Amino acid sequence: MLNFLEILIRGLMLGSVYALVGMGLTLVWGVVGIVNIAHGEFVMLGAYFAFWAFSLLHLNPLLSVLLSIPVFFSLGVGIHKKITERLVKEHELSALILTFGMSILIWNLAQFFWTNTYRSVSYLTGNFPLMGLVFAKSKTVSFGLAVGITAGLFLFLKYSKWGKAIRATSQNPEVALVCGINTMKMRMFTYGMGIALAGAAGTIISLQWVIFPQMGASYISKAFAIVVLGGLGNIHGALAGGLIIGILEAMVTQYLSAKMAQIIPSATILLILLLKPTGLFKK
Amino acid sequence: MRRPPLQKNHAYLGIAALLAFLIAIPFFASDYWITLVTLILIFTVYASGWNLFSGLTGYTNFGLAWFIGVSGYISSLLIADHSFSWLFAWPIGAVLTSIASIGVGYILLRIKGVYFAISMVALTEGTRELFGTEYLTAITHGGKGVPFVAGIKLSSLYWAILLLATLTLLICYKITSSKFGLRLLAIREDELAAETLGIRTTRDKIIAFALSAFLVGLAGAIHFTYQNYIDPSFAFSIHLTLTPIVMTLFGGVGTVFGPVIGATLFTFIHEILWAELSLLYMSVFGAILMVLILFFPQGLLGWMKEREILPRIRKI
Repeated sequence: MLNFLEILIRGLMLGSVYALVGMGLTLVWGVVGIVNIAHGEFVMLGAYFAFWAFSLLHLNPLLSVLLSIPVFFSLGVGIHKKITERLVKEHELSALILTFGMSILIWNLAQFFWTNTYRSVSYLTGNFPLMGLVFAKSKTVSFGLAVGITAGLFLFLKYSKWGKAIRATSQNPEVALVCGINTMKMRMFTYGMGIALAGAAGTIISLQWVIFPQMGASYISKAFAIVVLGGLGNIHGALAGGLIIGILEAMVTQYLSAKMAQIIPSATILLILLLKPTGLFKK
Repeated sequence: MRRPPLQKNHAYLGIAALLAFLIAIPFFASDYWITLVTLILIFTVYASGWNLFSGLTGYTNFGLAWFIGVSGYISSLLIADHSFSWLFAWPIGAVLTSIASIGVGYILLRIKGVYFAISMVALTEGTRELFGTEYLTAITHGGKGVPFVAGIKLSSLYWAILLLATLTLLICYKITSSKFGLRLLAIREDELAAETLGIRTTRDKIIAFALSAFLVGLAGAIHFTYQNYIDPSFAFSIHLTLTPIVMTLFGGVGTVFGPVIGATLFTFIHEILWAELSLLYMSVFGAILMVLILFFPQGLLGWMKEREILPRIRKI
């Protein structure tokens, strides 16, 4: 039974990071109306950001987590301004194909420049015991960071003026525009936030797992599973979805095999679309 | 000033001459050229098959590699482990893939566009993982792949894919000028309105999807027989989905001959780029895809139709 509790906690810690990736995707999808297939690639870039900062500049990885937020925010704003804003009014599938191309471009460039070597940030290794259970230091710290960023995001969306404007744009862009909200600016800001969440999640991921140029693919399928579970554009749903995917993954890895755990995202997407396409959670 | 439209008889003569030339290729050309044209024809079927469903209905299929991989695996395993002849293995693979695609379509095509696109990616990724797991090793040989020899001559394989490509184009040509094709176009333009007018949209989408799966699956079976090898990461590779989409976008989405032009051009580009910069090859394709969507979304044939160099009819 103790073992079961340990796996449950491991799943929750895993899920908290997945939720960050999923919330970024669902936020951009809901507000900007663009499905960013390249979202996983920004997770990969975030992980490499922490890796290079650590190995070249000897920057503390915890500091790169904080630093990655403004860096990736600006990157996202730039990309949206130059590229994706043109597609907002087009058929949604144009944006889908475009971001698909972007995803291929980014991970292949990463593969070209950084090679296929598996890398990792060796910081915070080792375990510590607490109340009879054993915790990995890196995973516990990652969990704390993920919870912190999630709380910050929720407070921002709930109470700040910009957060309210973003929610208004998501609910009805035309009415928001009539009420004097600059929806174009909100889309840009939200796109930046989505990319920043992906980048921050990437830096956190680099603390606990190996990183390689193609890692984005596994995170994008998890993020899609989370969005489908939580319902499109639903941030709270995405948080719950992330935790569910994390716990499922920990359980399947433990009781079946690691290879089977990789089928979870696809199986979840297909099952949810078959049974309840609007997602499990009310907005 | 309006340009005079192409003379119909001249067009038929041209096509007949091209076909005669293509049939005769194995009698005089070297193996290198036969191989190259075989690849062009395989990708013509992939691109046309993608276009047949996605180009007409507007539902982007990001899981083309799923058709190719599933059919390729079924036929390869039949040949390798159950000593089937290729003549039976290919159609069995394609038919089973088509039947499976009806099941997939029944689940995924009831829901609007984007969900369909992403779940096809998920399905392809998931199937790749599934085929590599230890639980299915007895059937699929796991992740290490299946080498096999089908005992088919290159020239016979070439004629088989030529026949399939010709049939595919004929089917696309017939469909675009049929009522069925019009219904599919209506789904692309406004699905809700189409439904209101009494079109059974889900049924039509599933029919087009299954037809696309059959043609692409058959080409996939031929592709892996030609390669004499199959493994999960190769069979369900993103490359097999991406390349036909780029080819179709370049030639013109929703046109009949656009995918052929795209497949021919990009197979040559592949030959050149692969040798010169194999590592940057995929990034170049990703960049081309972005540029096409941003600046050239109507494709080559669409552009020529806009300028009235070609007549503005759906049959081209």
